[in-house]
Formats: sequence, structure tokens, C-alpha cells
Amino acid sequence: MSAKKIRIYFGISLLFLLCFFLLNISLGSVQIPFSQTLKSLFGQLTENQAHAYIIKHYRLPKAITSILVGSGLAVSGLLMQTLFRNPLAGPYVLGLSSGASLGVALVIMGGSLFGITAFFLSSWGVIFAASIGSFLVMLAVIAASFRMKNTMAILIIGIMFAALTGAIVNVLSYFSPSEQLQRYVFWSFGSLGNLSTQELSILGLFWLLGMILAVFSLKTLNALLLGENYAQSMGASIKTNRLLVIVATSLLAGSITAFAGPIAFVGLAVPHLVRLVIPVSNHLILMPAVLIAGAILMLICDVIAQLPGSELTLPINAVTSIFGAPIVIWLLMRKKKLVF
Amino acid sequence: MQKILPFLLLIFLISCKEENKSKPPNSASSPKGDTLQVEFAKGFSAVDYGTHKILKVSNPFPESDKTYTYLLTRSGEKPPKDIDYDERVNIPIEKIVVTSTTHIPSLESLEVENTLVGFPDLDYISSPKTRQRIEEDKIADLDQNENINLEVLLSLQPDAVIGFSMKENNKVYSNISNAGTPVIFNGDWNEENPMGKAEWIKFFGVMYDKEAEAEKHFETIKENYESAKALISQEVEEKPTVLSGAMYQDVWYLPGGKSWMAQFIADAGGNYLYKNTDETGSLSLSFESVFDKARDAEIWIAPSGFTSFEQMKEDSKHYTEFEAFKNKQLYGYTATKGETGGVLYFELAPNRPDLVLKDLIKIFHPELLADYENTFFKALE
Repeated sequence: MSAKKIRIYFGISLLFLLCFFLLNISLGSVQIPFSQTLKSLFGQLTENQAHAYIIKHYRLPKAITSILVGSGLAVSGLLMQTLFRNPLAGPYVLGLSSGASLGVALVIMGGSLFGITAFFLSSWGVIFAASIGSFLVMLAVIAASFRMKNTMAILIIGIMFAALTGAIVNVLSYFSPSEQLQRYVFWSFGSLGNLSTQELSILGLFWLLGMILAVFSLKTLNALLLGENYAQSMGASIKTNRLLVIVATSLLAGSITAFAGPIAFVGLAVPHLVRLVIPVSNHLILMPAVLIAGAILMLICDVIAQLPGSELTLPINAVTSIFGAPIVIWLLMRKKKLVF
Repeated sequence: MQKILPFLLLIFLISCKEENKSKPPNSASSPKGDTLQVEFAKGFSAVDYGTHKILKVSNPFPESDKTYTYLLTRSGEKPPKDIDYDERVNIPIEKIVVTSTTHIPSLESLEVENTLVGFPDLDYISSPKTRQRIEEDKIADLDQNENINLEVLLSLQPDAVIGFSMKENNKVYSNISNAGTPVIFNGDWNEENPMGKAEWIKFFGVMYDKEAEAEKHFETIKENYESAKALISQEVEEKPTVLSGAMYQDVWYLPGGKSWMAQFIADAGGNYLYKNTDETGSLSLSFESVFDKARDAEIWIAPSGFTSFEQMKEDSKHYTEFEAFKNKQLYGYTATKGETGGVLYFELAPNRPDLVLKDLIKIFHPELLADYENTFFKALE
């Protein structure tokens, strides 16, 4: 692909991102005229105070969350797929979401067992628990990665962690009263729309940190595509860089799971979608493309989840898979082979 | 999901099922029987034939039109041969296991609470009378309702287990039944009419040969309800607008326009903003649509499990934008708890619609019930 063509691609996709951002904000259960949407966004006075509040304090944070979540998950998916050289990898293969789930399950459902105080039951408690959970799993994976020469072994260890934490969550669910179980299940549905400004800014900070680390690891990722031995011969320090990639993924996927719940599919699918549309393997191009595509996909999924015009909504976690999976299948069938 | 559904129902104490399609035919079986008077409840009927009784319970689960026939026989009497029945029970019952706290007030009102020998998860029970018996170790804990401890239950040898279930083919109950202990389904939570739920005391009356007592008790409640409702129809012109429910994540759960709660609000002289919806169960709506419609609602009742303004504010700052929140016009029922944390409303409200109605009248039109003190609904702290 020529540099010029790539620049055009990026120009178009950024334009798309902006369009979908505005579309996301202007559509919802309540019908608000587009002119009023724009007025509220730019802080001008509107006739309807309720509408202005909905735009500024509900839809705008929700749209920003969608962008952060979609792009963060997609980029961490890309990092994992390259690091493990496995098209099935996603941000959750390291067991991060299971770690977060275990943390949340312990707080919500194990509260009575451990005499957990009121703080832990607040929304901050849930976020804190999810972060600690995924952080601990990440530490375990890093420890394993220092001992293991083989990257595939880390993948297996991550999956084992997921199985282990999943089993503990099952035991907790089995014994907990329905109120608590319900809270946990609602968390696991995922939600983009209940982040306060404060929470959103913390998520944004983690997102930025993760992205910076990801950018630093791009060169190694390109080398890794040719195999670990080759990368080593190119002078890339595999161990340090592997760590960099794992930390970046953990920051992104861990914080997103903590704030928005375990959102499936995006991390696995977006890198494939992008590779199917622009068949490049250079991560300097791939990463920004995946970032933008992830954001766009999440904005679209959120619009669908809001079922514009109706008063009902769908859980975001279901929408990403129900509408995302057929698209990937269709693209794969059309191209007749996996680009990886 | 099986465990969540009961809770959703408990939150709002709303039933969600379609209208009964057929009234159970009692007259067909024998002309000689003495049919129990049932005025509001749609889920059960009973006929007394002297030597035995036939109790019919129709669709105790949502989306089912199955009618269960229970043969109740007196000891020493020979049961009739030509009757098809699902379970046979000896009456009057001497040992019983119930599975919902809503069954407890009926037992107490009929003064047969000493026949209760087992219950799943005793902590949910709030009534002081029954709690006293729990302290004395007279009632066995059977674990959770979805997961009843079969061995403990069978060792109690109850005459009957009063089951309630969200779906047909409940494994636990079929196991109990297969082990020889009769299971009788109770569908009180499935009734849509406030008086209909309360009328299920007659269902227990039949099993204890206490039809007259049950009737008397129910009539008192009915009179109380009617006289409270009459206050509204005579004197009230201005009806306050009412919002209900709260959010999980960013989805707002609130009672539908044909639900139990909506009927109470209407009878208590409130203008429920979602009264024109058709749901008999709960509505799940997006935050923005509720905000758009109900931001200016004057009164907000039953905001999920919240008991204080502080809690709500911490959960979501959106709540603070509602007028009812700003004016501190928020009333919840979860603050009134029993000794071990069970919410009294869940246990007692279905049996005492008169108290629920008076609570709401006191909130909507305090001048009409100046000396009344609320039982369930209290202003948030």
C-alpha cells in the first residue's frame, strides 16, 4: 500500500469516527432534534433543560466511554494476537477479565463471608476490586513470563488462571443470595452509561498510559511477527518487550473491565476486521487503524444497544457479539482466508 | 437466571403473567360440594365435599395454563376413587413447610404458625412471632429456595410443602414429590389485584379447616382497604405525579402500568407517570427516557433498595437531578427490616394491602390520614 493511499484511508476513517460520535450523541431513547444536540454540546442555552442534561451528562460521557473502551480493547487485542502469534488471542486470554470478575464477585457476593465494609459495596469498591483482581493476575502472568521461555506457555497459563478464577466465581454464585447474584450479573452485562466524570477521567488516564506503552512496543511487535528467534537476532530484547506488551494490555483491559464490565468480542474481532479491510502487517499502520476501528465499532454497538426511538435498551455485551460476530464471519467467508 | 428472576419479582412485588384464561371448573365434578367464596384471586378455588375437599390451583407460574388438582382428605375417611389428582394431602395439616415469607402472615393470622416446621433461609423471616419459634429451634433451616436441602426436609416429615416457583418443571419440587411428600403450589405472587394476593389466606384456610377464620380475616382487610380508598374518591382533586424504581447500571426498572404497585398508586390518589403502559410486571427503560418524562415528578416511591439520599447520590449523580430528590420527596420500604435483615414489606405487604394503601395515601395526601403512622414506606434519610 502506498503512503498516499494510507493517508487517505486514515482521513476517511477519522471522518467516520467523528460522524459516528455525533450520531451516537444525537440518537437515543428520547428524540432530541440535531440542532438542540449541537447547541447543548457547545454549551449554548436550549429550551429544554432535561434534553440539555441528557446530552451533556449522559450521552456525551457515554460516547467518550465508548471510544475509550472500543479502542482500548481493540488495541490490546492486537497486542495479544501479535505477542502470542495466535489469531484466537484477545485482551482476555491473560485471564485479566477473570481476575477482575473474581475481584468483583468477592466484593459483591463474598461480602458477608469476609465482613467487607460499606466502602467496598459502593461503585468505587467494585472498580477497586476489579482493578486489584486483574492487577494480581497480571503480576502472576509476569512472574510466569520471567520463568517461561515459550510465549505459548504464558498463553496456557493465562487460560488456566481464567478457569481457576471462573470456578471460584461459580462457587460464590452458588452460595450467594439472589440480590447479590443479581448485582454481579448486571455488572457482567457491561455498561457504558454509568460513569461519572471522575471515573471517566481515571479511565482516560489508564487508557493514555496503556496506549503510550503500546506505542513504545510497536517496533518489537513488527520484529516478533517474524518469530521470536528472528526478533532476538534483530537485537530486540524479548523479555523486556514482552513485559511491556503485557503491562500495556493489562492497563487497558484491566481498567476497562473495572469501569465498564467485561465486554466481550471487540478485542478479538477488531484486529481481524482491520486486517481484512487493509491487509498490512506493519504495526505502525495497524495500531492506529485498529484504534479508530475499535472506537467506531463501539459507538455503533452503543447506538444499537440504545435502540433509538424506543424506551428500552439492550445490554452492550450482548450487542457487541450479536452484531459483531456475523460481520466477521461474513468478511472471512468473502475473503476465503484469514489474513494474519 | 433462575436465581435472578425471583428477585426481580421481589423487588417490585409485581406479578407478571397473563390473564387467567379459564376459571377452574368446580361445578363439573359434583353438584353436592360446598364451593369456597373467592372474590378477587384468580389462582385457586376449593370445594368441600364433606368427606374430602378438592383444591385447585391454576397457573401458579407465568406463561403456563396448567391447573393442579389437590385432593385433601380427612383422616379416617376413604378418599373417592374416581378423581384424578396431582397430590393427596391429609387435613387438617399438622406439619407444614412453606417456601415464601408471604406465606408466614397467613399462618399467623389463622393461628397455626406452630405447624410450621421448616423454611428455606430463615433469615428472611421478620415476624416476631415466628422469629421467636426460630430462636427456640422449632423451625428447621432448609438452605435456599432454589436449592432446598432434601434430606433435612424429608426428615421433618411434613404433611405438605407449599411451593412457589418461577417456572414449571422445578427439579427440587419434583424430587420432594417423588419422595412421597406432597407439594402444593402457591401462586399468590402471580395475582395482579392487591386484594387478590391477600385473598390467598383462604387457600391456607382450606388446608387447616379454618375457612371461616380466613374469610373473617380477609373481610376485615377488605373493609379497611375500601374505606381508605373511599377517602380518595370523595375528597381528592389534585393528584401528585409519581415516579418509582431506580437504576441498575443505566437501566431503570419500574413497575408497569397494570402492575400491583400501579394499582396501589392509583387507589391512593397518585398520578403514576407510567400508568398507561400495559405491562403487568416491570418495565426496564433507558435512563434518558425516564429522566425526560419524570424529572419533575413530585413524589418518588420505592427507589429499589436505597435507604438514604447519600447512598443514591453515591450510586449515580443523575438521581440528584430529579425534582423529587431535590425536594426530599422520596419514600422507600426497604428500611423497615426484621431482626435478621429480612425486609418486612416483602413478607407482609401482599397480605396487608390495606396497610400499603394507607401508607401511600399518607404520602400523597397527608391531610387525609393525620394520625396514621406508616408501616412500610418511610421517607429516605
